Amino acid sequence: MTIEVKPLEEVSEPNTLDDMFDYSRPPRIVYESPIYEEINGEIVKFDPQEALKRDLVITDTTFRDGQQARPPYTVEQQVKLFDMMAKMGGPNGVIRQTEFFLYTANDRRALDECRALGHKYPEVTSWIRADKGDFRLVKEAGVKETGLLTPSSDYHIFYKLKKDRKKAFDDYIEIVEAAWEAGIRPRVHLEDVTRADIDGFVKPYVGELVRLSEQVSPDLHVKIRLCDTMGFGVPSPGVALPRSIPKLVHTMTHELGMPHECLEWHGHNDFHKVHVNGATAWMYGCNAVNTTLFGFGERTGNPPLEGALIEYISLHGDLCGIDTMMIQEMAEYMRSIGVEIAPNYPFVGRDFNTTRAGIHAGGLRSDERIYNIFDTTELFGRPPRVSITDKSGVDGIALWVNTYLGLEGDKRLSKIKVHKVARWVMDQYEVHSRMSAITDEELAQQVQEHLPDHFANRNAN
Amino acid sequence: MNRDDVKARVYKVIAQVLKIEESQIEETNSFTTDLGAESVQSVELMAGFEEEFDIEMEEDEALEVQDVAGAIDFIGRYLD
Repeated sequence: MTIEVKPLEEVSEPNTLDDMFDYSRPPRIVYESPIYEEINGEIVKFDPQEALKRDLVITDTTFRDGQQARPPYTVEQQVKLFDMMAKMGGPNGVIRQTEFFLYTANDRRALDECRALGHKYPEVTSWIRADKGDFRLVKEAGVKETGLLTPSSDYHIFYKLKKDRKKAFDDYIEIVEAAWEAGIRPRVHLEDVTRADIDGFVKPYVGELVRLSEQVSPDLHVKIRLCDTMGFGVPSPGVALPRSIPKLVHTMTHELGMPHECLEWHGHNDFHKVHVNGATAWMYGCNAVNTTLFGFGERTGNPPLEGALIEYISLHGDLCGIDTMMIQEMAEYMRSIGVEIAPNYPFVGRDFNTTRAGIHAGGLRSDERIYNIFDTTELFGRPPRVSITDKSGVDGIALWVNTYLGLEGDKRLSKIKVHKVARWVMDQYEVHSRMSAITDEELAQQVQEHLPDHFANRNAN
Repeated sequence: MNRDDVKARVYKVIAQVLKIEESQIEETNSFTTDLGAESVQSVELMAGFEEEFDIEMEEDEALEVQDVAGAIDFIGRYLD
């Protein structure tokens, strides 16, 4: 094979690929070709452009799966979070639905008070076990749609429910019919579907649900939630069922006739794939991805809601009404009620856009785009920062000082001007054998001591 | 100020900042490889030169100066 070596193209201006990396937005994910997957011996084409024309939405389970992973939220906390969630998702309903437990008086009061806020989105739904008696709760709550837990793998059917497939199948169908009798739309949760016998149970079960749906009005048609309960789902082509997300979704849409708008993906993060699995489900045919705030959920958690929002913006190239500042406000609120968010957690962690290496700080000092993902000041109110250690170098210290003093452009202090602060920092490690990072308060004190005029001006401003 | 005067004062600053004897310094010395200046000390050298000669140097150009002779000539241009 002959390899053609392209000549270097010298340019007078840098090519910063602005179509893809418009700094004012999360960078666009640009699909330029279809995706092909071999399914049942045939080459199947998935068109991302077609996917982006669908009504892709985010659904939320912060108050259901999210609460299973932590002590319960108070009613007031749930109402506050719901209110902020509504503002975050915006008027277009990007965050389309959120689901609530109904089992305790507090669960029901939280649902009532959230609805009383009068937000159009997120719509309120519920979640119940596959128990006919639970429909009384749904009816009394006046909820139009409820999730029904219907485990689909033999692990659950045989070992948890102590049933055989026929008994589980009949019981599930009976509960769906009970939902219809109560005038409630059933959202069937195929628990553990990524470990289920697709041909032997899932296809007959969903096929029957699709057939029965034709006998009720469209607003009651069954929705399917594909529950990757243990995080076994895999996004890449060529993977075998039941772990293949492309094949699972294709089975639903093409073999069983489930409409895209009735399909939802619910993942878990046991194998670090939770966000990309959700995004993959969007592309291959699920209109909804089920999420929780900051990914809190059973065990390793669910797709993070804020991650899905950023993905949504990246796919559409537009904010679509999403209030990105609210992502930070919700994180602050969660911290205020005692929820810990890891410092390096994307988008909201204390250090998500903090750099420590001196060479990175040097880049940031020249042009923040070099080491910042997008304009986090405009979209999050979080300018990029440096954390000062012995690895920060004078570049990092100069960046910290200029950010602290609010100096920009020609007014920024040079490295030469901050050398005394830099010396103090280095001495902490070299002379005093310090092991921890320098705090902002300590650095501010050094600025006051060594750059008193600038410190005074900052405080005067 | 002639070059020898500049050189003498440059040597004095280098000795103070790097905590070495002036007799150890030669014009051909590199600040880092020969005289052992670390990152912060390179900046401190420039700050020391600014203070000694009461000048304000352009940062990027100043930090590109790698050796003693270069510093003497660079400072000389400011004094001219």
